[in-house]
Amino acid sequence: MGTSDLDQMDILSGLKPGSELYAIRRERPEFVEGTELCRETVLSPHHGFGLGHALRAALASRMARFIGREDLAAVYDLMLDEAGSDPDLAAIASGAEPAAVDAFTGAIIRHADLVTKTPRDNSRTDIERLEKAGLTNPQIIALSELIAFVNYEARVLAGLSLLEQVE
Amino acid sequence: MSTSRFKVKALSWSPYIEPVDVATATEEQLAAMQVTPSNTKVSAYVRTLAHDPESYVARTKLFNAIMYAKGGLDRAERELGALVASAVNRCVYCASVHARRYVELSGREEVVEEIYVRGLEGPFEARTQAIVDFCRALSETPSRATREQVQALRDHGMSKAEIVDLIHSAAIFGWANRLMHTLGHSVPVEAK
Repeated sequence: MGTSDLDQMDILSGLKPGSELYAIRRERPEFVEGTELCRETVLSPHHGFGLGHALRAALASRMARFIGREDLAAVYDLMLDEAGSDPDLAAIASGAEPAAVDAFTGAIIRHADLVTKTPRDNSRTDIERLEKAGLTNPQIIALSELIAFVNYEARVLAGLSLLEQVE
Repeated sequence: MSTSRFKVKALSWSPYIEPVDVATATEEQLAAMQVTPSNTKVSAYVRTLAHDPESYVARTKLFNAIMYAKGGLDRAERELGALVASAVNRCVYCASVHARRYVELSGREEVVEEIYVRGLEGPFEARTQAIVDFCRALSETPSRATREQVQALRDHGMSKAEIVDLIHSAAIFGWANRLMHTLGHSVPVEAK
C-alpha cells in the first residue's frame, strides 16, 4: 500500500497505511466514501447556486481555523489557491474580520462564524438576515450544509487523531 | 424510586424558510425527496433541505450509515452520542427524537432524565459517563476532547471500531444540529 491509499481524513488524523485504525476505518467504507462524497457536494457541487467553489473553500478554511484545525485549514487554503484566490477570499480564509466585502458576502461570513462557534444561539433572525442580504433559499441551504460539513469533518478528525494515540 | 417514568415529548419541526413545494419541484428535487405518484407526503424537514438536492442525498446516505449500519457500536449508544451532541447544541428537536430512540433501544430513561433535568455533568454509570464526557467535549470544542477521555472508553470495554462509530455518531450530529436548530424550530406535534 502506498500513501496514495490515504485519504484526507487519514492524513490529517495521522493514520498510516497498514495501521490498525486505517484498517478499522476501511471496515466502514460507507463512512469513508460517504464523507468524501459529501465533501464534493458542499465544496465542489455540480449545482453551486451561485456560491462559487473558491468562496466555499475560503469559508471552509476560515471555519477550520476557528475550530482549531490549522492542518485542515491549510488543505482548504490549497483548494482556494487552486480555485483562484484573491485578496478578499484570502482574508475570509485567514479568519480576519470581514472588511470591505459586499453585504451578500458579509452576511455569509457572519453566518458561517456564528453557526460554527455558537450554533445554540442561532435563531430565526439569523436566517432573516441572510434573506435580507439577498440569499435565495437554495443558497441558504447550500451554505448551511457547507458549514455543518466542516464542523462534522473537524470532529471526526479530532476523534480519530485521539484514538490513534490510544492503545 | 420514582413512580412516574420520565418521558420526553415527541416534537414536530417547522422551518424558517419556505420549503420546496412538491407540485413545483424539479426532477432532481423530486428524486432526492423520493417522491413518487404513490408517495407525495414529504416532511417539512426533507422539503426544506431538498432546496439543495445534491447535498441532501449524499448526507442522508452517510447519516443512515452512521446511525444504522450493522455491527460495531450498539445502536443505543450511537443514539446517546447523538443526544449528547444535541444537548450541547441545544437542538431541542433532535434531542427529543434521539432521547426517545435511546430509551426505546436501551430502556434507560434515567439517563435521559438526568440529561434533561440536570444536564451533562452526571454522575452517570461509568461507561455512560465516559461516552457523555467524550461526546460532550467533541461537540463543544473538538480540540478540548482528550486522549484520557478516549482511554476511558477503551477502559470500559469499547473496541476501537466501536469508538470509530461513536466518533461518527457525535460528529454527524454536529452536522444535523447545525441544520435543524438554525433552519427551523421545534413545535408541539398537535400544532402540525
